Amino acid sequence: MDLQKLITKPKKGAKSIRAGEELTVVGQSVPRIDGWEKIKGAAKYTDDLEFGPGLLYAALVESPFAHARIKSIDISKAEKLHGVVKVVTGGNFTQKFGLYMNDRYVFATDTVRFVGEQVAAVVATDPKIALRGAGLVKVEYEELPAVMDAVKALEKDSPLVHPDLKSYTHVPWFFPKPGTNIAHWRKIRKGDLAKGFRDADLVMEDTYSVPRYAHCAIEPHSAIGLYDASGRLTMWTSSQSPFTQRHVFAETLKSFGLSHKDVRVISTYIGGGFGGKAGVTMEIIAAALALTVPGRPVKLLWSRAQEFYNTYQRLGCTAKIKMGVSKAGKITALDFKLHWDAGAYVEYGANVVNAAGLSASGPYKVDNLSIDSMCTYTNLPPCGAYRGFGYSEFLFGLESHITRMARELGLDPVEFRMKNAIKEGDTLPYGAHMNPTGIRDAIERVRKEIRWGVKEKSKDPKKAIGKAQVCFWKSPAMPPNASSSAFLKFNEDGSINILVSGMEIGQGLLTVMAQIASEVLSVPVSKIRVETPDTDRNPYEWQTVGSHVTWGCGNAVKRAALEARERILDLVQRVHCLDKSALYLEDQHVKCRTKPDFALRFSDFVINGIQAEDHTFKGGPIMGSGVFMPEFASAISDPETGQGGHPNVHYTTGSAGIILEVDRETGKMKIKKVALAVDCGKAINPDLVRGQIVGGLLQGFATVLYEDMRYNEKGRLLNPNFSDYKIPTVMDMPDQVVPIIIEVAQPDGPFGARGVGEHTMIPCAPLIANAVEDAVGVRIKSMPVTKEKVALAVKAAKK
Amino acid sequence: MPITTEFEYIKPKDMDEALHVFSVYKEKARVLAGGTDLVVHLKENLARPEVVVDIKALPELAGFTLRDGTLRLGALVTFSDLIASPLIKSKFPLLWEASLTVASVGVRNRATVAGNICSAVPSADSAPVLAVYEAEVLTRSLKGERRIPIADWFTGPKKTALLPEEIVTSIELKLPEKKHAGCYMKLSRYEGEDLAQGGIAVLAFADNTYRLATCALGPKPARCPGTEAVLSGARLGEKLLSKAKETILGEVSPISDIRSSKEYRLHMTQIMLGRALGSAVARLFGKGAKYGTENIC
Repeated sequence: MDLQKLITKPKKGAKSIRAGEELTVVGQSVPRIDGWEKIKGAAKYTDDLEFGPGLLYAALVESPFAHARIKSIDISKAEKLHGVVKVVTGGNFTQKFGLYMNDRYVFATDTVRFVGEQVAAVVATDPKIALRGAGLVKVEYEELPAVMDAVKALEKDSPLVHPDLKSYTHVPWFFPKPGTNIAHWRKIRKGDLAKGFRDADLVMEDTYSVPRYAHCAIEPHSAIGLYDASGRLTMWTSSQSPFTQRHVFAETLKSFGLSHKDVRVISTYIGGGFGGKAGVTMEIIAAALALTVPGRPVKLLWSRAQEFYNTYQRLGCTAKIKMGVSKAGKITALDFKLHWDAGAYVEYGANVVNAAGLSASGPYKVDNLSIDSMCTYTNLPPCGAYRGFGYSEFLFGLESHITRMARELGLDPVEFRMKNAIKEGDTLPYGAHMNPTGIRDAIERVRKEIRWGVKEKSKDPKKAIGKAQVCFWKSPAMPPNASSSAFLKFNEDGSINILVSGMEIGQGLLTVMAQIASEVLSVPVSKIRVETPDTDRNPYEWQTVGSHVTWGCGNAVKRAALEARERILDLVQRVHCLDKSALYLEDQHVKCRTKPDFALRFSDFVINGIQAEDHTFKGGPIMGSGVFMPEFASAISDPETGQGGHPNVHYTTGSAGIILEVDRETGKMKIKKVALAVDCGKAINPDLVRGQIVGGLLQGFATVLYEDMRYNEKGRLLNPNFSDYKIPTVMDMPDQVVPIIIEVAQPDGPFGARGVGEHTMIPCAPLIANAVEDAVGVRIKSMPVTKEKVALAVKAAKK
Repeated sequence: MPITTEFEYIKPKDMDEALHVFSVYKEKARVLAGGTDLVVHLKENLARPEVVVDIKALPELAGFTLRDGTLRLGALVTFSDLIASPLIKSKFPLLWEASLTVASVGVRNRATVAGNICSAVPSADSAPVLAVYEAEVLTRSLKGERRIPIADWFTGPKKTALLPEEIVTSIELKLPEKKHAGCYMKLSRYEGEDLAQGGIAVLAFADNTYRLATCALGPKPARCPGTEAVLSGARLGEKLLSKAKETILGEVSPISDIRSSKEYRLHMTQIMLGRALGSAVARLFGKGAKYGTENIC
């Protein structure tokens, strides 16, 4: 039985709308509640916080080798430098940590595993002194053979990145292979693959490759730690995950006497996350350093170069795909092997591999399916969450392949997708069933928007115009018990403070949470304040990742608002002897359907209660709390087939189309028009959804057209800067971007909403690759699809 | 990111003081004008001077003038100064066009033309333009003045004919007397700020003669005399162009690096040559794209 369906099945028969029941705030593009603060430049980010003259600064000693044994560390010279307060090495902190797999070190202890890994830190009174001190630490290394490639890492004689893998603890849904570099191997086996290929009229096999990418948030990572005399550790971090950070800090540093109650994480606004500020990366260093200098705050601020080479990167992927299709255009079989380069530590990245493995069929009904998603250690920097969480990578191969196969069979690639697109109730790769979805509507709307089937000609004879349309889907990747919670408090004037720990990362979470509460309680958004969290005061939220907070945190806020509403109605029923079922909230008043002249203003009672006829007061401060956990989810399944669990809570689907102009000689590409339709269930704030669509597309196109992390043979990143790691500027905008909102309600979402943040970037790579082929007849199978690749391929094809 | 290296900062009030400092410190002194290269190099410890000499207070280095057909660019003239000047736009539109392709607005507001040729990276956008205008670089030391033709200025990647005790005071360009038009075609990874992966400057004259120079297609920016000779005297047509495209391949020697492969650079050398010539000739007849447009490949 599908628990989700049971819980969330919409009630049969439409109810007629009664007073106070139509949506007035949800669905409106109300202005962002953090807008003015940010526009004025007044919003505070972590690096803006003032800590007075006692603030200490840390600088790191970093590994110059991709793989080496640390023979000795001499800190004596650095310690003698005037202004240096402390020099810390791996000898001071031997604890391991990790989100899903405990494989990462605070400082390298005896082995370094990537170029740039932290080996020691110097804490000083001034950032310059700290850097000079770091230059005085002498480390002797013995270089070891290293492995830089996920496929080579599987060879028998490959160097092992983690020889002790067997002893590492990890979540129960990971399947590492000790004695190899395989950190996790997600297998999906469904149907009869051999029969599927026998039934196919065309079988095509190919390999697609995707390099690593960097998030390039404008604000670099920063963290300030203070360990005070009361034994508490306070951390100010630029983070998507304050509670997860608190947990990791407390768990990792518990041998210093810290428990969860002693650790406090305060998160300000953050200048872009995109997954890069999820989990814990450099923040653990600041936490550890704070313990070594009790009573003084210590700050660690990443440089742009460190931002590139020592946070999470997006995993590189080599995708081997074999697909069978019938003449009628049905996918009969799919054998998909994904080899992921996850880097030196995979504590977060292995879950990307897991998520992609569960969903690599794409938004299509594939009855005979085999997926092997393999997480491999390499001696490159650690990889982790990045907007899209593995889906962009497999979609590049899958959606390229589908267009190629459709064309080869003489089928219309868009019609092909329409035919195979998944429907509500279809069996998912892991056996559970698909949620309601508007994918067909999305395909249709985009098809019209780009005038699919109408060949266009450039005015410039050197240029050709190509079109493409692809589909996408994505689910939040999270532990089955990832939960959200909210507190809501009324104030004397009827205004509200909402406390949540979902992070405002630019997506507009604070505004959307205010809209949800506003809708339930009839209090205008302007009278609701929602701010970034402090883990001491705000209730728990797992992390702001996976495009799930509008859904998860939104559900918690809605429940908190409903609880407050219940308390209000109970009180009014008790004091005024009105039947609760006749009461409703409107325009900050309690009103009654059976007594039209009854109207009780919130500000008259939400703190001080209602005065009864005997002059006593009833009630008291109105507040509500709400908790949401997806109780139908389960990550446990058969390791050999992936069948049996319900790891994903829901999928958001959509389609995107492009009109691309390509210069045949230079390879230069210009996006004339791009349209993206996404089924967000319910757009609580349509402008914010449109913002996600435009922003996601730009970020996606950046990864296809320009970005590319390049390493030399020694594992050193060659372009940790914006001179040679290009992200688009305003001059590189598409001519026209058309965001399309589809709303097929998610039954368990707040007002029907489901996630939308990551999805908008993941279709970009196959869009470009397919449109390039449509325009100039060449197929690029490795990302990025640069103009250089296109021009040289066109030139080669001419010969 | 803080600068950790220590140095003396000097801001001379007159030229004599500045030249004295350079005569004493030589290679250990570095000029600070725009600072867009120097400050980055200081942060990355690539430059470790003992003295940084800020020349921004020296009045004789400021501004630019056009007198008797000679444009004199003081060493402190920035790319934004040139872009903002109607004089440059009307009389030296090719210099104006190339200036627009240098980095970003913020960098152009500080970066100087003299600094661009002193840094002497192979990709310097101003270099091919100065080459086709046959500019001269004026330098000074306590020993006196020198006048160095731009053709002799670049001696290798990041190397110039400037002596350690000298500073550049100005750059002079002669306005060609014959009717002419130009084009600077730049190969870039995108529309935003980028270092040229290749650049070709063309000056086309009404008598069917041409001056061509490249950047980022060899160890140093350079003229292409062989290609100029092929083109000289005849009307530009398909046949002539294809001969020129063959010839220019012998005059460039691009490398493969993180920004581009040798193969693509060679391919684009030919494409850019054709487009730059086409654009310059069209402009000569009052047609073609406006300066500052359609010149990023």
